[in-house]
Amino acid sequence: MSLSATSDIVGTKTRRGLTGLLLVAIPVFLVVWMIIWPIISAIGRTIWLPNDGGTGRSFSLETYKFFFTDQYSLNNLSVTLWTTGICALLLVLICLPIALYLRFAKGRLAAYVQGLAIFPMFVPSIILSYAIIRVLGPNGTVDLLLNSVGLPHIRSPYLTPWGPVIGLVWDNIPLTVLILLSGLGNVSNQSIEAARDVGAGRLAVLWHIILPRISNSILVAVSFTVLGIFSAFTLPYVLGPAAPEMMGPFMQRTFRDLNDPTNAITQAVIAFCFCIVFGLFYVRSVAKNRNP
Amino acid sequence: MAHTLVEKRIDWTGILFAVALTIVIVFPLLVVGTWAFTNVWRYPSVIPQEFGLKFWQQTLARADVWSSITMSLSLATMVTLLSAIICLPAAYAFARMDFPGRSILFFSFLAGHAFPKFGLLVAIAGIFLQLNLIGTFWGVVLIQLVGTLLFMIWIPVAAFQAVDRRMEEAARDVGAGPFRVFWSITLPQAGPTIAAAVLLSFVGTFYETEGAWLIGAPQIRTLPVLMISFINNQPVIQYGAVLSVLLWVPSFIALLFARRVISSGSFAKGFGG
Repeated sequence: MSLSATSDIVGTKTRRGLTGLLLVAIPVFLVVWMIIWPIISAIGRTIWLPNDGGTGRSFSLETYKFFFTDQYSLNNLSVTLWTTGICALLLVLICLPIALYLRFAKGRLAAYVQGLAIFPMFVPSIILSYAIIRVLGPNGTVDLLLNSVGLPHIRSPYLTPWGPVIGLVWDNIPLTVLILLSGLGNVSNQSIEAARDVGAGRLAVLWHIILPRISNSILVAVSFTVLGIFSAFTLPYVLGPAAPEMMGPFMQRTFRDLNDPTNAITQAVIAFCFCIVFGLFYVRSVAKNRNP
Repeated sequence: MAHTLVEKRIDWTGILFAVALTIVIVFPLLVVGTWAFTNVWRYPSVIPQEFGLKFWQQTLARADVWSSITMSLSLATMVTLLSAIICLPAAYAFARMDFPGRSILFFSFLAGHAFPKFGLLVAIAGIFLQLNLIGTFWGVVLIQLVGTLLFMIWIPVAAFQAVDRRMEEAARDVGAGPFRVFWSITLPQAGPTIAAAVLLSFVGTFYETEGAWLIGAPQIRTLPVLMISFINNQPVIQYGAVLSVLLWVPSFIALLFARRVISSGSFAKGFGG
C-alpha cells in the first residue's frame, strides 16, 4: 500500500518535471540553435576549410593567417582595440564622479542629474548619430556658434576615429552609471564616517575606502563596455572613417558587400577571442546576482 | 552628515554636473528637434530663418517612409507576440516547477551576452546563408526573437516569484481550479511587471538595427535602417530630422512607463552591477 503511494508521488513528480521541460523547450532550443550552434559552427567552418578540388574539407588556419598578415585587417583590429580602450577609460572617468555624486547627494538637483545620466538609454543610437552629425559635423551647430563669435571652425570629429568614441561614450553612460551606483550602494555610510573621524580627507576616503569596495563593479562596467563596443556596428558605421574601420562595419562589409562569409566569420571568431575573458566575467557577475 | 543639510550649502558639484549633462545630452537632441520644425536654415545664421511644418508633409508623403514604418511595426509586433507565446510559459515553469537541469537551462539564456553581439550576428548569418534566410522577413524575426529571450524570461520569472503563494493556496483551498488561480490571483499580481517586459521587448525590437541590417538588407527595410540610408545619402537635412522625431516616439512611450523600473536598484543588478 505504502509502496504504491510512493510510486504514485514519484510518478506525479516526473510528469511535472516533463511538463516543465516541455514548457521551456522552445526558448532553450532557440538558444542552442541560434547562439551555441552558430559559435561552434563558426569555429568549425573557419578551421576546416573546403579543399581546392571541391571535395571534402580539411584542417587549415589559412583565413586566420590571412587576417594576421593583412595590413588592412590589422589596422582595423588596432583601431577597434584603441576605440574600445579609450571608451572604457573615458566612461570610468566620466561616470565614476557622477555616480559618486549621486550616491551622496539628495534632493531635486541630484534627481535631475540622475534623470539626465539615464536619459541616453531612451535615445536610439541612430538618432544619436544624427544628432552628433548635426552638432559636431561640418557647418554644424558648434561651427555656427563659433562663427557667430568670430572664432574659426572646429576640426570635426565626424568621419574620424573620434566620432565613434564620442557616440559610444554617450550611448554607454546610463548603464555605466547604474552599475557603478549599484556598487556604491555596498559602501556603508558608517565606514566613510569612521574614516572621516580619524581625519581622512576626501581623496583618502575615495582611494582607501570607496575604490576597493567598488572595484568589482568597475570591472563589471568595463566588461560590459568592452563587449558592447568591441563589435559595435551602427555608431562606427555612421560616424567613423571609411578606413580603418572598426570590426563591426568590417565584418558587415566582408559578409554582405564582399560576399565572403568565411572571412567575415573568421573576423567574428577573432572578436570572440579578444572578448572572451570580459564576456565570461560579465556573465558570471550577472549570474551571481540572480537565483534561478 | 546632518549638519551639512542644515547649513544649506550651494551644491556646486551638482550644478556643474547638471549644466555639463544638459549641454552634452539635451542640447544635441534639441538641435535635431529644431531642424525637424525648420523650413529654411542657411549657414551662418545661428537660428533658423523660417520655422514650419513643410518637411513633415514632404517626409510623410514619401513611400519609403511609410513602408518602413509598416515593416518596423509588423516586425516588432510579430517578434513580441512570438516571444510572449514561447517565453511566458517558460518563465512560469522556471519560477514554479522543478525539473532536471533547471538552473543550467535558466542561465543558458545568458550565453548570448558573453560574446560581442555583432560577431554573434555574423556567425548566425553564416548559418542563415545555408538556410536561405538572408533577406527574408522570417530571418529577421528569428534573429530579433533571440535578442528578446533573456528579458522576456528573466523579468517574468522574477514577477512570478514575487506573487504571494499564500493567496494562491487560499484560493485553492476554497476550491478554485489551477487555471482560475492563475487567472484571478497570479496574473493580476505578476501582470504589471510582465507588461513592462513586453513593452521593453517591443521597443528593443523596434530599434534593433544591426540584425535587421545584416540579415534583412536590402529587402527588409525597417525605420532605423531607412534612417541609416538617410544619413548616408540624403542631402535634405530635414528628412532625417523629421524621421528622428518619428523614430523617437516608441522610446518616449517606454520612457514614460519604464522610468520607475530603471531607477530602482534591481534593474542595474540585472546587468551585473
